[in-house]
Amino acid sequence: MRSRRLVALAGYLLLLFSLAAAIRPSELARRARLAIRDSGKDLARRRLDGSSAAFDRRYFFFLESVRRRLPPGTAGVAVLAPSPTVAHHNLTLYAFAPRPALVAPSRIPEGWFLAVYGAGAPDGWRPVASVAGGAVFERAR
Amino acid sequence: MTGLFPSLAAVAGILLAAGALGFFAAGALVPAGRPGERVAWGFLLGLYLLAGFVPVALAAGGRPGWLAFAAAAILVLAASRAARRPAGPEAPPRGVERGRAGVVLVFRAAVAGGVLLYLLRALTEPMWAVDFLAIWGWKGKVIFGARGLPPWTWTTPELAFTHPEYPVGLPLLDAGIAFLLGRWDDHALALLYPAIQVATLLLLVCWLERRGVRRSVALASAAALALFEPLYRAFTTGMAEVPLALLLLAIGVSLVDAVEGDPGANRRLALAALGAAALKNEGLFVAGAAALVALLWRGRPLRRRAGAALAAILPALAAAATQRLRTGPLPLRDFRAGFLLEPGFGGRMALGLRTIATEVLLPAWPLLAALVLLAAAGRRTADARGLLALAALPLFAYAMLPAFCVWGPDWLVRTAFARTSAALAPLLAAALALRLSPVFGRSGESTGSAAGPAA
Repeated sequence: MRSRRLVALAGYLLLLFSLAAAIRPSELARRARLAIRDSGKDLARRRLDGSSAAFDRRYFFFLESVRRRLPPGTAGVAVLAPSPTVAHHNLTLYAFAPRPALVAPSRIPEGWFLAVYGAGAPDGWRPVASVAGGAVFERAR
Repeated sequence: MTGLFPSLAAVAGILLAAGALGFFAAGALVPAGRPGERVAWGFLLGLYLLAGFVPVALAAGGRPGWLAFAAAAILVLAASRAARRPAGPEAPPRGVERGRAGVVLVFRAAVAGGVLLYLLRALTEPMWAVDFLAIWGWKGKVIFGARGLPPWTWTTPELAFTHPEYPVGLPLLDAGIAFLLGRWDDHALALLYPAIQVATLLLLVCWLERRGVRRSVALASAAALALFEPLYRAFTTGMAEVPLALLLLAIGVSLVDAVEGDPGANRRLALAALGAAALKNEGLFVAGAAALVALLWRGRPLRRRAGAALAAILPALAAAATQRLRTGPLPLRDFRAGFLLEPGFGGRMALGLRTIATEVLLPAWPLLAALVLLAAAGRRTADARGLLALAALPLFAYAMLPAFCVWGPDWLVRTAFARTSAALAPLLAAALALRLSPVFGRSGESTGSAAGPAA
């Protein structure tokens, strides 16, 4: 029984050692600093400072600017962005929910707005608002 | 309202209110004299209430809010009061040993440290995990904003990456909290996850102590689990693994109780299996695995084993059927069974297993070595064997599934294997504590027996 206890203790110490290795004080300090610094900000600014926007913070700023310019009852939003990644797709979808939103769709449904990240004005669309990092368009009649 | 702390306080209040209601309702599940377990099961019931009142209110044409929540709570409490209290012959007094006070204190501090670490990791920023944005959180936000999941969410081909075929239990829970909060706050909502961690630890410790495990061993197990970063980390916050881990533990411990004939165990097992199947597709698989383990359990009456098997599988099937009725049949986007019949299937299987070995197991060798030592130091017990069998079946499935992945076996291993397997940690923690219990001395009479599952 004594030997079993010793093996168990050795196993538990090794377990704690391997679990403790995942605790990085620098990471925790960074987290604490970010949480404290951002705790008074509004939710969108906290997301802007966070991991989901880290791949392109200007893109999230653009999405949020577009979102705030959309009229109530907007049917959906299509977004054109240069070289969109999975992160662009996910953040776009989430930012505009509960409205449907698609990045670079093959077809833009009737009644949707088009948001263009960066410069450029697509044919057949007329600008309705200029936003940070791009512009919002509606279908030209 | 701006600022994190007012919203956090509000979400904490909602969770406490739901947990308190659940605690009262859990009288129909947990026999008297088990306050810790009742709190844990009550919290779980509270989460069901938060998720469940949303579709009921929407189906009734109402607005999910405090009024609808109160109505649902009254119904649940009335049903709980009407149900026969689970009671039976008094369990023999176990005379729980407190262990050495200093050791207990150290492990308690370690548990608290693990909870605080996860609180910090979970609450640093709004939830951001890829699957939170694309799947769980997105659906919750749509349910909250659109008062339901409109058909375009599962009929738009470009949105297939949101996995419309997944159950919606977690999005409903997120939306339920948001409806009571009055807004979608994906930062304060993250508090749900450390709260689930606490409930998991509480269930683990209280159940182990009831099974006769010394408090120091139970707390040591809980401390290791609380510090288990692959499960309790920022990335898993907002995804289904943390709640699934609680539900898998709940299935496991209630399964052990059920084959032993513990009063109310079949109800608890049914509730946990229902939640697991409403949370993730593999919840149905685990419920089936629990039914199989129950049927193969040796030395218990067939009637009792069959009762446990039915308690596990029927509610899970009901949850899966409800999902199918909601959306119609939807394909599993990431998998294709046809690979099995193709010539390259062996190579796919080998690639998946090799990727698991080299990219998951090898870097985690100290952890695995520690688990091997702990398992080797322990003694066989029927209960531990049952829990290990229950954990082994989904682990086996997670190892086999990459061979069927359309994006490549290595892709699935890299993106999902470690994360999904981490949800089995509470089951493993419980099983190891049971194995080690005889080594460190039990606190009293064991309720376990030499009988156990043949699996």
